[in-house]
Amino acid sequence: MSETRIIDVGEGAAIPSKNDWGLFNAWGISITGAVGVILYLYLFESTPYKRIAHYVADGIIITFEVTFMSIICACCIGLVVGLGRVSKNKAINLVASTYVEVIRGIPLLVQLFYIYYALGRFLNVHDLTAAVIAMSVCYGAYMGEVFRAGITAIDKGQTEAARSLGFNTKQTMFLVILPQAWRTILPPVGNEFIALLKDTSLVSILAVSDLLRRGREFSSETFLYFETYTMVALIYLVITLLLSKGVSIMEARLSHYVRH
Amino acid sequence: MSATSAPTPPIVDIRHVSKSFGALKALNNVSMSMSLGEKVVIIGPSGSGKSTLLRSINKLETVDSGTIIVDGYDINAPTTDINRLRMELGMVFQSFNLFPHKTVLENLTLAPIKLKGMSKAEADDIGIKLLDKVGIREKAHVYPSKLSGGQQQRVAIARALAMSPKIMLFDEPTSALDPEMIGEVLDVMVTLAKEGMTMAVVTHEMGFAREVADRVVFMDHGGIIEEGTPEHFFQNPEHERTKLFLSQIL
Ligand SMILES: Nc1ncnc2c1ncn2[C@@H]1O[C@H](COP(=O)(O)OP(=O)(O)O)[C@@H](O)[C@H]1O
Ligand SMILES: [Mg+2]
Repeated sequence: MSETRIIDVGEGAAIPSKNDWGLFNAWGISITGAVGVILYLYLFESTPYKRIAHYVADGIIITFEVTFMSIICACCIGLVVGLGRVSKNKAINLVASTYVEVIRGIPLLVQLFYIYYALGRFLNVHDLTAAVIAMSVCYGAYMGEVFRAGITAIDKGQTEAARSLGFNTKQTMFLVILPQAWRTILPPVGNEFIALLKDTSLVSILAVSDLLRRGREFSSETFLYFETYTMVALIYLVITLLLSKGVSIMEARLSHYVRH
Repeated sequence: MSATSAPTPPIVDIRHVSKSFGALKALNNVSMSMSLGEKVVIIGPSGSGKSTLLRSINKLETVDSGTIIVDGYDINAPTTDINRLRMELGMVFQSFNLFPHKTVLENLTLAPIKLKGMSKAEADDIGIKLLDKVGIREKAHVYPSKLSGGQQQRVAIARALAMSPKIMLFDEPTSALDPEMIGEVLDVMVTLAKEGMTMAVVTHEMGFAREVADRVVFMDHGGIIEEGTPEHFFQNPEHERTKLFLSQIL
């Protein structure tokens, strides 16, 4: 009955599964290694690394901000697009599908430039806001596909049971289908979160001082390219690993009603 | 039960209904009616249109032509609020279709709370009584995945009853069950029948048909071939196809 269906899983950091244990898995090794190396560089190889870490620190905050806000907006857009994609209303369905097709057909970097400069030209929005909008518009389309897959993976008997009780389509979706779909949706959505986090590094090309841009600024002043990018890469790795852990914890919480 | 009872307007009136899936005619000019309190058992080979007929009564399938009147409302009329009408029509599926993210009791109370505006306390109260009735009160707070098939189907019946429907539709309620669990579900249905519920039941359980049915309807190839009392059916069926089917199933 309530078997978990596998739905398309994109690339991204591995989300730890409940079968993994202790530190002896890919996640454990990576996080221990990354944190260990950062600490070692920071404490003992102090000369450039300490300065790098301090210099890029506010970039980490910006990266977090862009990631967090983009995730929220992309989820909202994704939900609307996903619902549109499963809608029986032809017009709504067509609009949602076209949006997905167009977005998926343009490289993220090109979209970022396009939306950023379009917004800059026609509206006077803040750089950070423009970056978040661009990221959200793009990831909203990808997220929409994940939502659609999650919704259609729910047995149609669920819809029939709900409708036969007297629920309308909207109630059926929000009371019966979506609460079940979260569980199937979460792993691929988690992957999208992680991919989004990594892709926020692209906004460094715009005038947004995220982690990568701060690193670039520092290295072009000091010519310490290797050291700077070592630090930047390690910080990205740690953040990504922590996010993937968070996703796996949420996933475990949401699966409480499944028979094991 | 008897032909002497006063004529009441039928609570379900299906007139000249047809329905195709692509080139396939699932229902071919079917007419059938049910009066209040009547128990109709629908039998027939697989693919004969039994489910389609039952599901068109609550508009899970929309018919191509003909009319279906339920409790005085034409279900296909634009003025009919189908969601409201469905509250009067309980349905039990072969595959149970319980909501896996809700506990057993929540499965029962969701619709009364959301659709009838019932308070949680009142809905819980009614829910517990119904679980008592189907014999699984002790499972009120577990999730459906922890139940056996027979238990799940009894919960599904209770869930439908929680809306106090006027009519109950059963689509092969025991076909997905292990043989040892069929009895517990049929017992609940027999009790319900004795309480006077109006029931349309698609089933292969001929013992149930004999015991409960006021009328048995035999379908084949999207049409009703023969209908009559269980006595008529099991003692002297008229049509060759009915005889053949019964000889295969009994
Ligand atoms: N949703 C559907 N799409 C296509 N064909 C269907 C659908 N539902 C039923 N059918 C076909 O209609 C015919 C009648 O089906 P059904 O009413 O389910 O028969 P029964 O319940 O008597 O086994 C069958 O041939 C079946 O394959
Ligand atoms: Mg059937």
